[in-house]
Amino acid sequence: MREQIEAAIRNSKADYIEIRLEEGQNTRVAYRGPDLETADVVIDRGGLVRCFVHGGGWGIATFNDLSDLEYRSRQAYEGARAVQAEPIELAPIPASEDKITVSLENDFRGIPVTEKKSLTQEYNEILLESDPRIVDTQTTYFDTFSRVTFANSEGTYVAEERPMVNVAFSAVSRKDDNVQRAFEAVSKVAGFNAVKGHHGLVQTVAERAVGLLSAPPVKGRRYTVMCNPRMAGVFAHEAFGHLSEADFVYENPQAQEMMVMGRRFGRDILTIADDGSIPGLRGTHKYDDEGTPTGRTDLIKDGILVGRLHSRETAAKMGEQPTGNARATSYRYPPIVRMTNTFIEGGSTSFEEMMSGIDRGVYACDAFGGQTALENFSFTAAYGYMIRDGEIAELVRDVVLSGNLFVTLKHIDAVGDDFEWAEWGRCGKGQGGLPVTMGAPHIRIQDVLIGGE
Amino acid sequence: MLERLMQQAERAEVFEIQSEATKIGFEANKLKSFEVEETQGIAARVVADGRLGFAASSDVTAVDQLIENVLASAQLGDEIPLHFPEPQPGPSVDVYNSELAALPASQLIEIGREMVKTIVDADEEANVSIDLTRRVRETTLRNTAGTEVAVRKAPLSIMLEVERVRGDDVVTLFEYFNTTTLDDGYRAFVDRVAEKLRLAQRVATLSSERMSVLFTPTGAPILSLPLIHGLNGKNVYRGISPMTGQEEERIFDEKLTVMDDPTLDGRPGSSPHDDEGVPRRRNVLIDQGRLMGYIYDLKTAALARAEPTGNGERSLFSPPSPSFSNMVVANGETPVGDIVAGIDKGLLVETPLGLGQGNVISGAFSNNLSLAFKIERGEIVGRVKDVSVAGNIYQDLRDIEALSLESEWVYGGIRLPYILLPRLNVVTKN
Repeated sequence: MREQIEAAIRNSKADYIEIRLEEGQNTRVAYRGPDLETADVVIDRGGLVRCFVHGGGWGIATFNDLSDLEYRSRQAYEGARAVQAEPIELAPIPASEDKITVSLENDFRGIPVTEKKSLTQEYNEILLESDPRIVDTQTTYFDTFSRVTFANSEGTYVAEERPMVNVAFSAVSRKDDNVQRAFEAVSKVAGFNAVKGHHGLVQTVAERAVGLLSAPPVKGRRYTVMCNPRMAGVFAHEAFGHLSEADFVYENPQAQEMMVMGRRFGRDILTIADDGSIPGLRGTHKYDDEGTPTGRTDLIKDGILVGRLHSRETAAKMGEQPTGNARATSYRYPPIVRMTNTFIEGGSTSFEEMMSGIDRGVYACDAFGGQTALENFSFTAAYGYMIRDGEIAELVRDVVLSGNLFVTLKHIDAVGDDFEWAEWGRCGKGQGGLPVTMGAPHIRIQDVLIGGE
Repeated sequence: MLERLMQQAERAEVFEIQSEATKIGFEANKLKSFEVEETQGIAARVVADGRLGFAASSDVTAVDQLIENVLASAQLGDEIPLHFPEPQPGPSVDVYNSELAALPASQLIEIGREMVKTIVDADEEANVSIDLTRRVRETTLRNTAGTEVAVRKAPLSIMLEVERVRGDDVVTLFEYFNTTTLDDGYRAFVDRVAEKLRLAQRVATLSSERMSVLFTPTGAPILSLPLIHGLNGKNVYRGISPMTGQEEERIFDEKLTVMDDPTLDGRPGSSPHDDEGVPRRRNVLIDQGRLMGYIYDLKTAALARAEPTGNGERSLFSPPSPSFSNMVVANGETPVGDIVAGIDKGLLVETPLGLGQGNVISGAFSNNLSLAFKIERGEIVGRVKDVSVAGNIYQDLRDIEALSLESEWVYGGIRLPYILLPRLNVVTKN
């Protein structure tokens, strides 16, 4: 295949061209309630050619049929010529030639699907048997192993193996009209052992789903909010991280003014960064999908905006350095600026100290999801507790945090000393689910709007 | 392939998909990219020894591996009394216009330019991104009961994103338009987006209280999303839909009628057959507030001992599941202008944030709004920032004040009128 890739690049008339091919296989076992939804293996192969010509724009071809790359390269070239756009420039990066292979302990590719099914069924039965009020479950096992080859006309040729193994547990409880749910997942760049032994976690899911049935909805008003590390991590990613993506600002002078370097976004205790090079995390790769080496980029340091995330194109346009954040969800998409592993750096305040200052507050735990429209955000906690006089009180449900980003970041007045990475994370920007990791310690935020009845 | 599968299984089905798309991208008000996308793939299901199996491949040459995978999957599968449908005619519906299918890319580019101009004319500080996609998609389904159904569609879809930043004040709009008809329907769509942007210039303040809330068609999915989940046969069979067991009962205001309608010409969600070869039909699910039925695919219908409703949909890599073709909420009789004129103090909900994040199946919603307006003495007076609405559709849709005469397609496959609820909890920062 290397010869065909290199020939297609060599013979292209484009000023820059890249080819990315992906070949993979996924195994999935899914239970819904007591029934098996599916236990299957699917094969996925596809590729993308992206190029530009001076005086034209980006031309892209994506395909499943890998047999004639020169034809695809011509399709992309014709596309680039059909677009009259401003000249595209890419910030320089060193050409890399590399092969990244993985060796997985108890490699899931060697495990029969029967065994994957048994494990999934075992977890599912814990959910089903734990309480009669659990009326529905979804227990899913998923593994994927793909080989991604990236080459460009500047001499980069990188072949990378990308494995991932996941289990996800969700339970729905019901009492009359009241329907509640709980969710946990584990996802690792690892072998089969990483998804074994999570019986305790599954039990937690069952207990939480049932517990939420008798939890009252939180009363809508403004509170002091403690975010657990997983909620804080989602907040860092959704509410702030997306604004740090240079494709938001690079063509928009007003947005650049808003995100001007040196602007104070938070108090001295707040540091937020992105790092695609931390071993074993979901957002980690040695190179991004343009062949740029990954690394750490500080976004907010000691409360001050100090950096942003770039592709080669946004970096060139803004006269900054590429950061290794050009990522594509699959061969179906060109790379765009995305986060990798984004985190709030751990601070020095203990959990007890943070709690002791709260008369009436909400402890928001985990996140069902988050969405931002730039300055506005909305996050749904998976569950939460009231805080009264510095103590965790009753379980509450329907905890939705919303507000204005700029105000809320400044209201973060304590950062915990208990940093952790979440077990699971996904970013839905533009192209749908891309693996990322979010990390944070507990954080305390003053004066947050919690919606609710 | 079907013949090879028949030798080793009692029943089998092969689903093929082929699609070609041309995509034009505008970024920061300028033409940016041109993309061609070719997709192909095969999925197979078998019932072998009474057990159901599934497999798929986007490599159409990997037939041997696919056959091996689907039979292996069936060995692990549950025993399900699943029968693939015999040949049955479906309704005739127009979802392929040969002129649209062959529309030159230069014309897509022209449409994009025109849309950028309309938005920038409304607000010169607007930053517009557009993705125009014209697709020709053909799926073929063959099964051992003798069905062979090909469905060909040529949809045009347009995703429009507008950002306007002024200091720390950001207005963001995400809007989606699709059609299989070649006409100037996109103009009315972009005109409405431009109008929203104009209205957003002025900012108003509002205090937290219970008040009249008018959902526009783009805001009303806050209310229709729980209905989509609740009417899904799979959630009913699992017993998690709050509607379970209330068939024939009046559970909503009698102004509310909801249907699934795959027979509408020009809609990308329409088709004569579903992705399992079952004929499509128009299904009224809620009739004047009364619960009439649910949507099913073959498997869920078999498990629930219900009739398949022609709602089996699938992507290449997943087995079919029940899905709406076009969800239609019937419109009312009051012109929207009259509805607004009748509101003394209220909130107009245009764009929700966090749709689908909460406990959707329970009917509860609590959404921050990225775009909402204050209505005062019958007029829209300005944009309200930092505001959220909350409630539960199983209570709040029992009392609908008005549905508008006008309705719009939103999110591709949902047709909604303006919906006025008399008293809803509105929380603001004031």
